[in-house]
Amino acid sequence: MSAATFRSRMHAQATRLSALADTASLRQRLHLRFVRWALRVRAPEPAPIILGQRRVYTVPTRGGFAYATAMLVILLGAMNYNLNLGYALVFLLAGMGVATILHTFRNLVQLSLRPGRAEPVFVGEIAHFEVVIGNERNELRPNLRMWLFGSDDSDAVEIDAPPGASATAGLLMPTTQRGWLRLPPVTIETTWPLGLVRAWSYAAPDICCLVYPAPAEHAPPLPYGGETAQGATRDGSGRDDFSGLRDHQLADPPRHVAWKAVARQDDGPLLTKLFTGASAQRIWLDWDSLPMGIDTEQCLSILARWMLNAEAAGLSWGVRLPSFRLDPDMGKAQLAAGLRALALFGNSDEMNSNGTR
Amino acid sequence: MQQLPALTALGDVVRSANRVILGKDKAIKLALACLLARGHLLIEDLPGVGKTTLAHVLARLLGLDFQRVQFTSDMLPADIVGVSVFDRDSGSFRFHAGPIFTQVVVADEINRATPKTQSALLEAMEERQVTVEGATRPLPEPFFVIATQNPAHQIGTFPLPESQLDRFLIRIELGYPDPAAERELLAGEDRRSMLATLPACMTPAQLIELQQATRKIHAAPALIDYVQAIAAYTRAAPDWHAGLSPRAALGLLAAARAWALLAGRDHVLPEDVQIVLPGIVEHRLRPVDDRTRLGAGDTPSKLIEAVPLP
Amino acid sequence: MARDKRPVSQRQTWWLLAAALSAFLPLASLLSPWLAVSATAVMLLRGWMTWRQWRLPPKFILVLLTIAATAGVVVEYRTMFGRLPGVALLSAFLALKLLELRGARDAMAVVLLCYFLVLTQFMFTQSIATALMACATVLITTATLAAAADDRPAPAFLLRRAGVLLVQGLPFMLLLFVLFPRVQGPLWGLPQDRTSAVSGLSDNMSPGSIAQLSQSDTIAFRVQFEGKPPPQHTLYWRGPVMPSFDGRSWRVTRFSAVRTVPPFKVSGAKQDYEVTLEPLGKSWVFALDFPDKLPPESAYSEDLQLLSRQPIRARMRYSMSAFPETSVGAGDTPSLIAEALELPRGGNPRTREVAAKWREKYGDNTEAIVAEAENFFLRQLLSYTLNPPLLSEDVIDGFLFDTKRGFCEHFASAFAFALRAAGVPTRIVAGYQGGEINPVDGLLVVRQYDAHAWTEVWLKGRGWVRFDPTAISAPQRIADNFAATAPENDSLPFLARADMAWLRDIRNQMEAATNVWNQWVLGYTPQRQREFLQGLGFKTPDWQEMTAALAALCGLVLLLLTGWILYSRKKLDPAIRQWHKFTARLAKRGVQWHTWEDPLVFAERAASALPAHAENIRGIAHDYANLRYAAPPKNSTADTPLTKLRARIAAFRP
Repeated sequence: MSAATFRSRMHAQATRLSALADTASLRQRLHLRFVRWALRVRAPEPAPIILGQRRVYTVPTRGGFAYATAMLVILLGAMNYNLNLGYALVFLLAGMGVATILHTFRNLVQLSLRPGRAEPVFVGEIAHFEVVIGNERNELRPNLRMWLFGSDDSDAVEIDAPPGASATAGLLMPTTQRGWLRLPPVTIETTWPLGLVRAWSYAAPDICCLVYPAPAEHAPPLPYGGETAQGATRDGSGRDDFSGLRDHQLADPPRHVAWKAVARQDDGPLLTKLFTGASAQRIWLDWDSLPMGIDTEQCLSILARWMLNAEAAGLSWGVRLPSFRLDPDMGKAQLAAGLRALALFGNSDEMNSNGTR
Repeated sequence: MQQLPALTALGDVVRSANRVILGKDKAIKLALACLLARGHLLIEDLPGVGKTTLAHVLARLLGLDFQRVQFTSDMLPADIVGVSVFDRDSGSFRFHAGPIFTQVVVADEINRATPKTQSALLEAMEERQVTVEGATRPLPEPFFVIATQNPAHQIGTFPLPESQLDRFLIRIELGYPDPAAERELLAGEDRRSMLATLPACMTPAQLIELQQATRKIHAAPALIDYVQAIAAYTRAAPDWHAGLSPRAALGLLAAARAWALLAGRDHVLPEDVQIVLPGIVEHRLRPVDDRTRLGAGDTPSKLIEAVPLP
Repeated sequence: MARDKRPVSQRQTWWLLAAALSAFLPLASLLSPWLAVSATAVMLLRGWMTWRQWRLPPKFILVLLTIAATAGVVVEYRTMFGRLPGVALLSAFLALKLLELRGARDAMAVVLLCYFLVLTQFMFTQSIATALMACATVLITTATLAAAADDRPAPAFLLRRAGVLLVQGLPFMLLLFVLFPRVQGPLWGLPQDRTSAVSGLSDNMSPGSIAQLSQSDTIAFRVQFEGKPPPQHTLYWRGPVMPSFDGRSWRVTRFSAVRTVPPFKVSGAKQDYEVTLEPLGKSWVFALDFPDKLPPESAYSEDLQLLSRQPIRARMRYSMSAFPETSVGAGDTPSLIAEALELPRGGNPRTREVAAKWREKYGDNTEAIVAEAENFFLRQLLSYTLNPPLLSEDVIDGFLFDTKRGFCEHFASAFAFALRAAGVPTRIVAGYQGGEINPVDGLLVVRQYDAHAWTEVWLKGRGWVRFDPTAISAPQRIADNFAATAPENDSLPFLARADMAWLRDIRNQMEAATNVWNQWVLGYTPQRQREFLQGLGFKTPDWQEMTAALAALCGLVLLLLTGWILYSRKKLDPAIRQWHKFTARLAKRGVQWHTWEDPLVFAERAASALPAHAENIRGIAHDYANLRYAAPPKNSTADTPLTKLRARIAAFRP
């Protein structure tokens, strides 16, 4: 499946989900009610979520009904022709059918679900939620399927829970707005071992994914401001320490050409020696420096783009938002903190709280 | 655990090093842990953040010899391991030991040298001995290489291949000092002169004793399961090109033991593993996709959060 | 991918092919050759296509093939209904369905067809071998069902899984088999071909008809005697009685069973026995002379043929007692006696001449005439053979005076004719004589080659008395058994010969097993079920009681299985269980433990969130971490760390 078709499907699914409440058919609405009743405890549930016997439901699948019908026909045949072996056959198969109900139930019951991680993503990307499925029994539990409530089982993730260990299921969901995105309730089912019976349960693991604003496609150039240190050029390079080589450009001074390196290569390009200054440049990404007349979301998008660009350029950057300030620094932690502030902008409760997923 | 005198000396080393290198407590401890676990250290960062100072301080405080080798593209293996020179007086060849015959070798900008030269160093690191012209010469004990490397995306460098990166137990980034530390640095006395007056807190013998103590730190079955689960996860998860090697898993356990020793415990906790994990795995795991456009930096936290405690 | 729409993988296709072959091959020999060959060919072709990963044929080709197959079956069998056409159609559909494996639903259809084909196999034979073969088919088909759900495990693993499931189905099967209220079929009309010919005695006897049976070692019935079995020469298993003679064949004339109570009084010694009669498709219920009570659903005709109300299509079991000294028919109606004297007008002049002489000599002294006839047979030096020469006109004259070689029907026929010609009422009785004791289970086994014909003569005051003319010339045939008598160079069923002792031994073993099988598996009829349940203590086993017992016992088995399922949980490390309890309590207060989080780190987080309990939280986490990760203490005291932790967590109420 190509990324594009996948994305469009996920979008369709998101609209389905939101439209479910009002435009749902009777059947869907009944299903929704059932799920609400089944979950009982208010979603999200505290971890670990143990799938106890009372929340695992079991019903024959379509194949199971076909199997039962076939049993009935065989039974009639055996009766009509007085075939005692026919009786034996149908009773054996029926007994096996009963045994598979138990096996299917057993494959799901007493599983534990725990919230896993959810990487922050930008708006428009697919959020990736991880649910850790724990299997305390010393037997493999194969063919578990899991999908988000509101989507259909064609988007299900299939996993096996290894004996006495855990497995991680990744659930995908499209993102449409910044901020915290909470995982909707999930359905987990299994039809192992024969596909005749379906056991399933609902759960609402407590996972939130932080969604950053989408970086603007066309952003103004980085606001290099007044704090530029003396002697430093725009790209943060200086003249003191040798820091590496790059392709020669016509404007580079000839004495910076790395002649030794050139001599080593047969007919490679000229290389220019680069030198780094003592300190990299600092810039401030300022809410107030944004152009007037664009709305908040666009502002946040531009700031996100700036942060990425500044980080890529190796600058030390800080950010000033109304009611938020991040001192200049660089690195992944800085970027994460900045983008988080943008994602939660205008949501002052959550802005300062840390890790309340 | 019985109180080794070396253990108190170790505390002194950390304290003294913190006085010279400001605001880098964790980096110092990681470097020490690496040393205690008998591994080699790779520092990857921009010039001027104090890589050499760190190496120098450690060597002084531990009472070890110290040599700095600046790697360049025209360097030859002999420049590192040494060379036999014909001595006209005695009429025979005499071996001039290279800079590698030192307890602490600082290999600056290792990725500037040609792969041939790099591998000479890396082989010596692995085997803790050097073979020159047929004669095998052991390296001193303890032997500790601190290599520094520029960020890899510069032209004209020879990035270390993954197999060679595996020989460094821990890779750290120093990063810029935080504002307070930097202010203190600017206001305080000259670091060079501080270095010169730095007294040794420990003897090499004590260091070896500590290295042995590290190996005896208790790792419970549950913890070994945990380390194994981490290694297994990196191999099974689709996020990286290749999982951790068994050597890396061993290194992870060894470094976690050293960290537990530094924390004054006689057993390893999952926390120890989680603290040393970034330094161990970051240079070994190459992410597959660019979905995590924030770089490999979040690999360790992702890994930690993906593997439940057994 | 949605569960139902999943395409069928290559591995699953192999499985489905294996299941289809295992279900089809046992039936292939029953079908007409072109059908068997083309169905096999389609399956092999499907295998080739799977191997080469060819694409499946388009739908219209399949539709055409299906129509063609149906037409072919109709042309071949002239009907679509009945056993064979049904099997042929099912096999064809199965083979064609394999060409249309697009989704999980098609795989399910194939699996269910395979199960159904197993049933059709039982319509033709229900032997032990068939059952074993069916077991294999069911196992493979079930493994295929498992593979359709998850095709990753290795074949051996899937087969084992299927085996485990089937074994767990066994208790239910046994309960249902014993207790499920049985209905005597058929529920609707049986298709015509169900009554295809079974070899055995028929309602007429012409020269050669019994000799033909001597080629067959098929079992006719088995007998278990109470106590020591009576001697061979007394074992006359009475079957059809044939009073009518047309010059060549003897025929049964009375087919209606009219007397449910024996029309005679038994006397003398008693012999109890139990017969298991194979379904021979006829109504005769074979018994020794003469019973005091008749088996259920059977009655005597006027000439004392024991007849079942319906032709016997299912194996039948009945217990009887024999009173060999009973005399019967002394007061028979004149019409019966007259019938026993009727002769065709002409033919066999030489015999008639001899008989007329006896009549002249002894007049009404019938017993003297019979003795004279016996003497005559002895003097004629007749010999007993399986391959008598063919006779055309005047068969009795030819046998008695020319060829002098014959089989039991020649003897009986000639004897009866001669006596009738002399004015003595005589009739032919067919049945079986003797049998063979199987040393393995001590049962007397009577086979088709034990078929025999003898005569009954009506003597005034004594009624019908049995005379066996074969015994005059070949006393061995009666005293030992059929196999011992047959001359060396006569063609005999292979295993009937005495020199094949070891082979007979094996056969005896197998037949003993077959008998148990027949008694308990195949012979478990509604009647047997009733008897069995009465034996178990049900007073009047009706379907309500049976259903109740069935439900109760199935529930019990289900309960046991469920108990097994919920009991076999992995034993968690007790420390971890305590820790889960602890974290669950904290989770209720909003502090969530992540599974990857170090206990001490978590404790710090929890302590800062719940400062009131900080000390307790830290203490518990510390104890737990020590328990899990520290070296175990060398000297274990009474107050182990685990009990301490347990107490602390029990007391912890955030």
